[in-house]
Amino acid sequence: MTAAPPPSTGRELSNPPTDGISNLRFSNHSDHLLVSSWDKSVRLYDASANALRGEFMHGGAVLDCCFHDDSSGFSASADHTVRRLVFNYNREDILGRHDAPVRCIEYSYATGQVITGSWDKTLKCWDPRGASAQERSLVGTYAQPERVYSMSLVGNRLVVATAGRHVNVYDLRNMSQPEQRRESSLKYQTRCVRCYPNGTGYALSSVEGRVAMEFFDLSEAGQSKNYGTFATGGCDGYVNVWDGNNKKRLYQYAKYPTSVAALSFSRDGRLLAVASSYTYEEGDKPHEPDAIFVRSVNEVEVKPKPKMLPNPAT
Amino acid sequence: MGINGFLVQVLATNRVFNPSQSNLLLRMEKICGSLLYELQIIWDEIGESDAERDRMLLELEQECLEIYRRKVDQANRCRAQLKQAIADAEAELAAICSAMGELPVHIRQSDPNPESLKDELRAILPQIEEMRKRRIDRKNQFIEVLDEIRNIENEIYRSDGFASNDPAIDEADLSIKSLKNCAENCRHSKRKVRAFYDYCSHWQLQDVATSLLELWNLMDTPIEEQQIFQKVTCKLAASEDEITEPDMLSVDYIDYVKAEVSRLEELKASKMKELVLKKKAELEVICRKTHLISDKDSAMETAIDAIESGAVDAACLLEQIELRIARVKEEALSRKEILEKVEKWMAACEEESWLEEYNRDDNRYNAGRGAHLALKRAEKARALVNKLPAMVDTLASKVLAWENEEGIEFTYDGVRLLSMLESYTVLRQQKEIERKRQRDQKKLQGQLLAEQEALYGSKPSPVKNQNVKKDSRLSCGGASKRKLSLGAPILQTPKRDMLPSAKATPNTRKAKTNVRINQDRLKDDGLSALSSGRRVSDKAGLPMKQQSPILVKAREPESPMLRRPFTPISTTNLSKPNASNISEDLNKKHNEMLHKAVIINNTPFTPPPKIISSADEENRTPQTTAITLPSTPSTVSVPMQTAITPAPLIQTAIIPALSVEDEIEYSFEERRADLCCLDHNQ
Repeated sequence: MTAAPPPSTGRELSNPPTDGISNLRFSNHSDHLLVSSWDKSVRLYDASANALRGEFMHGGAVLDCCFHDDSSGFSASADHTVRRLVFNYNREDILGRHDAPVRCIEYSYATGQVITGSWDKTLKCWDPRGASAQERSLVGTYAQPERVYSMSLVGNRLVVATAGRHVNVYDLRNMSQPEQRRESSLKYQTRCVRCYPNGTGYALSSVEGRVAMEFFDLSEAGQSKNYGTFATGGCDGYVNVWDGNNKKRLYQYAKYPTSVAALSFSRDGRLLAVASSYTYEEGDKPHEPDAIFVRSVNEVEVKPKPKMLPNPAT
Repeated sequence: MGINGFLVQVLATNRVFNPSQSNLLLRMEKICGSLLYELQIIWDEIGESDAERDRMLLELEQECLEIYRRKVDQANRCRAQLKQAIADAEAELAAICSAMGELPVHIRQSDPNPESLKDELRAILPQIEEMRKRRIDRKNQFIEVLDEIRNIENEIYRSDGFASNDPAIDEADLSIKSLKNCAENCRHSKRKVRAFYDYCSHWQLQDVATSLLELWNLMDTPIEEQQIFQKVTCKLAASEDEITEPDMLSVDYIDYVKAEVSRLEELKASKMKELVLKKKAELEVICRKTHLISDKDSAMETAIDAIESGAVDAACLLEQIELRIARVKEEALSRKEILEKVEKWMAACEEESWLEEYNRDDNRYNAGRGAHLALKRAEKARALVNKLPAMVDTLASKVLAWENEEGIEFTYDGVRLLSMLESYTVLRQQKEIERKRQRDQKKLQGQLLAEQEALYGSKPSPVKNQNVKKDSRLSCGGASKRKLSLGAPILQTPKRDMLPSAKATPNTRKAKTNVRINQDRLKDDGLSALSSGRRVSDKAGLPMKQQSPILVKAREPESPMLRRPFTPISTTNLSKPNASNISEDLNKKHNEMLHKAVIINNTPFTPPPKIISSADEENRTPQTTAITLPSTPSTVSVPMQTAITPAPLIQTAIIPALSVEDEIEYSFEERRADLCCLDHNQ
């Protein structure tokens, strides 16, 4: 390792995927990073050591991935399959299938189930324990108003964002019907939905570039909110860190070579992994090579600034 | 006669022999006589002739005389030697005494009666010994002194390799006087040398004291520190003689003072560096203020670093920097006027962009905190913006004149100012063209609306892009609103080509109202839409205000989606907008418009207030497409707001037949997957 300081974009990981990156996630137990890609692979990296630890090939582009624990994970593929990946043995098996590409996948520690959302307009819940036969692992199928575009879990709550700007909020203990049916308060197609770690609500972003902060409990909505800080990555190549309370941008990291396709904070918030990968927002065109940057996060970048009095002139 | 006779004669001389000598002589006489007698006897016996006897006796006599003569000669010689010795000794003594300039202690007795020679000699020898000894001593003394002198000389003429042989002693003058002279010389030399050393020391001390004073002066040394060396500095004007303090001229003391000077000089060097850096910073500040780029002189940087090592003369560097500062100040003066104008121009540009932002704010006429201030500001800003072109022109011509006069480009923070002005002008022109174009479009839209009104007697229902899914799967929860009550297909979306449209589904933006706890809140929606004043702000910084029902202007382009069935009946009838698309073309045009159009039309609305407000609510819904999604559009085309006509009529009359495909939105991933599939299939 050289003594030179890492560039302002962070340290680039070696052996990145050879095509677009659909998602990346840090493990809850270590600095392992799971990366799913359009090159049909899921890769496992040790972000601190900058080493590729495993690679799993699929039948089609992999649109999402998530950790189970440090030894296994799950993947959602455009070949309609939901797979479990066992890292140490480099083994994978198919947990189940949808009728269309599987877009989102989450693992719920609360229920021990894997939840997938697909463009076939359904959610499916799977039980990964023990069962090897696909039929037995499927717990339930839940119809959605539209193709599922994004999903996020916190505690017992699941938020599903679909095409048509629908948002469904489920209680995982009772999936028969959504706890809340909402619509995005943004005008444009929903791009991404993420729950607050404190479980009080979720952030929702649109392809226009805006983010809406929502609460699960409507009665809380009128109270003083604690949005905390969050990071967004856009097709402009920038990663911004925002103060939700003051609605101000706290920090903007140096521009990445191309669109930011995915972001993930490490479990201790020390590291931020950035997938710099063209997301086809302008169709098929020549683009920068896909890369993964891991940068350290300084407290000063993400700490909210004291609230300032509003300026009447603005 | 014979020998006997001779002997008797001897005896008879005046010479007095002592008794023993007399006895000896007598004995000799006796022996000789007896021997002669014996001889006669023998001769007689032999019968020697007389002639022979005479001859032998003569021989005998001769031989005896010979012996006597020899002895006498010996004695003579002895006597002569003695005399010689005495004479030598006397001479030597005289010489020594003359050389020494003194007489022996034991003065030679001037005895008129010469004693025997041996006595004389005996008398003179000790004297001479003494004098010899004294002479040697004296010589040694001389040698000492002369050695000393030689040493001193050697020291002074160190490298000359002066004579290492013995110093010349004048044997002829060994007098005390002479010795004293020598000693005096020696002392003199010594004194001179010491004086020389003293002088050097003194000079050093002076030198060092002067340096001390200079340094103290330069660096404002506190008085306590100065006191320590007071005795040195106060003696600055004194000569060597006046320096009476013991050891003041000692090497140690001088070294001590020298050490202090070194310390102060190091301090000065570091302070100089500080000073230089300060000056450098001053230079940079001046450059910055006048928006000049202070060229980073790497040579100067290294020079500054070298100050401490003494390799670089800080004072010289300081001077250089001062010169530069003076030059830059001059430049700043000449740039002053233009820079002031630039400030004014930039302030005007800021107001211009503030004004643009302000104009986009739909709530700007709402009464509220600061609204009146904003109004005033806007008025001023408008006036300012009108003056802008002239301002830019004047500024540009002034800059050009300046450049011609000075012969160099006028830079502003490294950029040529004229280029900046040019870019600004170009940008403005572009904006102007854009604005004109939008105005034309609006006019056209107005015309078409009028036509439509003429045609149908009412304004067309709002256009809205929606996710049209004919199958009921849409209606999971949220989609229930979109269920067609009258069975007519819903919407028209303007045909678009490429980009995925963010089709807005009918909704109200209010978070509260959006939330459906149960399926049957449809009715509540409108009301809650009405009542809920709060709206989640999705625009950071802009306060959201409750839309008053009277307000017609949509904030952002909205498609006034008619959530509510026109007939105030069945709550399940959240029909899709009785939006009848006036014409596809019109919608297309809408979609192509990238400006915010004022919503023209709510006036013909006659429906009850609640509907208006709900329409307003719906107005807020995001509407059409044709926008490149990745970039945030400044405005979005506003579909026409249409009056709600009796639903069935409109719906049956006007529904265009659009393919479902056109209305389907796609995410980036879906499009990419398609491409992948296409590739794959090929």
